[in-house]
Amino acid sequence: MTTATGQRSRKLLACTAEANAYQKAFGQQLKRRVVDDGEPFVIAQADTPHEIFHAMDIPVIANQWWSAYISAKQLSGRYFDAMVEKGYPANSCKYCSLGLACTLANDPATAPWGGLPRPTMLVARLTCDCIQHVFGQWAEALDTEFFPIEAPAWEHKDAQWFAHSRTDWEEIYGPERIALLVKEMRDLIATLEKRTGRTFDEEKFRLLMERTNEQEAYIWEAAQAIGTARPCPVSIAEQMPNVMIPQWHRGSEWAVAHARKFRDEVMDRIAAGAGASSSERIRLMWIGAGLWHDPGFYQALEESIGAVFVWSMYMPFAGPQYIRDLKGKPMEALASRICSMNEVLHLPPWMNGWMTSEAERCGIDAAVILLPPDNRLSQSGTKLTAQALEAAGVPVLMIDADMVDAKNWDHDRMVRMVADFLAERGVA
Amino acid sequence: MLATVGADIPLDLLNATRRFAGPLGWNVDRPTPRADAWLESKFAPWARSILEDWADGRLDELAQVIFSRSDDNSQRLYYYICELRERGALAGPEPVIFDVARLRRSSSRDHMVMQVRKLAERLDLDGSDIERGIAETNVHRSKLASAPSKVRDGRVCLLAGTAPPDRRLHHIIEAAGWIASGPTLGDIWRDPGDAVVERTGRPIEAIADQLYATQGGPRGFYDSASRIAQHAADAGSNAAILWYTEEEEALVWHLPAQRRALEQAGIPSLILTRRDWAARDGVDIEIENFLKELNG
Repeated sequence: MTTATGQRSRKLLACTAEANAYQKAFGQQLKRRVVDDGEPFVIAQADTPHEIFHAMDIPVIANQWWSAYISAKQLSGRYFDAMVEKGYPANSCKYCSLGLACTLANDPATAPWGGLPRPTMLVARLTCDCIQHVFGQWAEALDTEFFPIEAPAWEHKDAQWFAHSRTDWEEIYGPERIALLVKEMRDLIATLEKRTGRTFDEEKFRLLMERTNEQEAYIWEAAQAIGTARPCPVSIAEQMPNVMIPQWHRGSEWAVAHARKFRDEVMDRIAAGAGASSSERIRLMWIGAGLWHDPGFYQALEESIGAVFVWSMYMPFAGPQYIRDLKGKPMEALASRICSMNEVLHLPPWMNGWMTSEAERCGIDAAVILLPPDNRLSQSGTKLTAQALEAAGVPVLMIDADMVDAKNWDHDRMVRMVADFLAERGVA
Repeated sequence: MLATVGADIPLDLLNATRRFAGPLGWNVDRPTPRADAWLESKFAPWARSILEDWADGRLDELAQVIFSRSDDNSQRLYYYICELRERGALAGPEPVIFDVARLRRSSSRDHMVMQVRKLAERLDLDGSDIERGIAETNVHRSKLASAPSKVRDGRVCLLAGTAPPDRRLHHIIEAAGWIASGPTLGDIWRDPGDAVVERTGRPIEAIADQLYATQGGPRGFYDSASRIAQHAADAGSNAAILWYTEEEEALVWHLPAQRRALEQAGIPSLILTRRDWAARDGVDIEIENFLKELNG
């Protein structure tokens, strides 16, 4: 049985409440559009070109957001149990399959929104071997179409990719890989136009790309400031919603304005010397997806030993992986953003190259790496990254846990584990 | 010499080099301490064995190893080995990746053509070399197809799911008095696939088209229920064992549909999930009991 031991996070920033309120209202609006009004909508993985859906005004439910939504309602255990009852092994990959599990459980009484209606299509990049099966079966269960996107091999290996990806994206991500994704996105647009009757407006798309650059530049500016500020003005528990909620709406007026507001609030706190902890002594790095079922975990040691999680991938990712010089080729620029979004976070040399550099930039004292036991993709690159960090003088704790499945998670035990690790390694 | 890791690599090209040593093998039972320090728990055990061999210098006589993108284990192993070479933790052959695109779109088919061309250039093959490679591989394919099948009397048990490392599961089935049907992982990696069209004047495209038409393995798009029903019928199966390892994360998604298909075909099945690739988990007793019960 699932044991829900997660704790809520403590909020210091005014804009955090605004972001959460916006997302709550957006969720209600999204529900109205897709459930009540029956508008066409898409379910898509996070690493797919959401910009296309936004430019076509097609509502999109990001699978990871939907998973987090289900998980936050403490429903993951119920739905994973339903998967086992349907004959799937208990160790099947969790992160991307919670939405499928919810659909297969077919229990409108408990499902968020009473369950999802039939989407226009499902879209996923084939970054691992299970995603096409998960999305294929989910599409079948929802009686709709699955639009897969290739995840081609990447031979140009530049461990310092993050230093020049904004300008040299053709070279870094590879012209062949970019060209392939551009063709696929053109096919996606044509299919969406046919299915929905909505059109893709090139100019609207170009403006969206420009505004996304502006939005990500605010986030990146704040991330750079957090890296050098002592104390850290805002822990990752608050970085995540202020980055990820606008990220789901990237390029919209609200998202740009919110990113600016978040940047300003971070800068104000730095100027005032305000810290996430009243006595910051240890700066921690979190490597892995957000721990959606226990966001309070990140702040549990802030006051007792001054250990602050100052870094997670979501915020600093805005700079190297989102901002693009458009060069009059917005579709190619978008392809360069999408075609390696997953790879740079989970494969050597990109993952370890970036994270080691980020640890140095942010003055990290120790790192905690999430190692989901049943997910090769999420595990991928973690040992080599841990070794690279240790070689750079950053002690690393690896914890076996899943980001959406609360099974085997005990808040107090995990907090103790981190505290013991910091003591044993002489950090605390 | 050259070797491969994974399926869906154009063997016609490798045969054309006359330097192809075949797929890399593995030792199921060997300890893999160095590989364990680098690879996470969900990597297939064969990847650990190959990486340990690489670290031990057992592959040093090879010039290149071609990894397939059609399997997540082999593609990730490629990146890890590249990184470990960069760090100086490994030496040995040059790792090369062969990209595989499977989607039913012209962009994917064009990508396959480009990848076959790239590999041919890397292997320094010209058009006549490639045509020769196709012809020689087709001869091999014909021999495989026309090899007299060992006609044996008895009841057949289909073995499907994760491809086993060798014939140890087959032997357990045979020890129970049944005929085992199903490929090992080595069989799959050595499979040259269907014949490639010869003398088209465009041998690169001919090879790419053959690869592109192949839909199997963890990243293939196919109706898994129909396919297992067809395999069971082709083999004349009286029983089936669906066996998946702890590390399996792709083919196991077929399990509910395949189980239903076998039920509909009236074929009794034994479902074994999260199993030890080396079969050290008492699977022999479970298979023996299952087949004994069917023996009546």
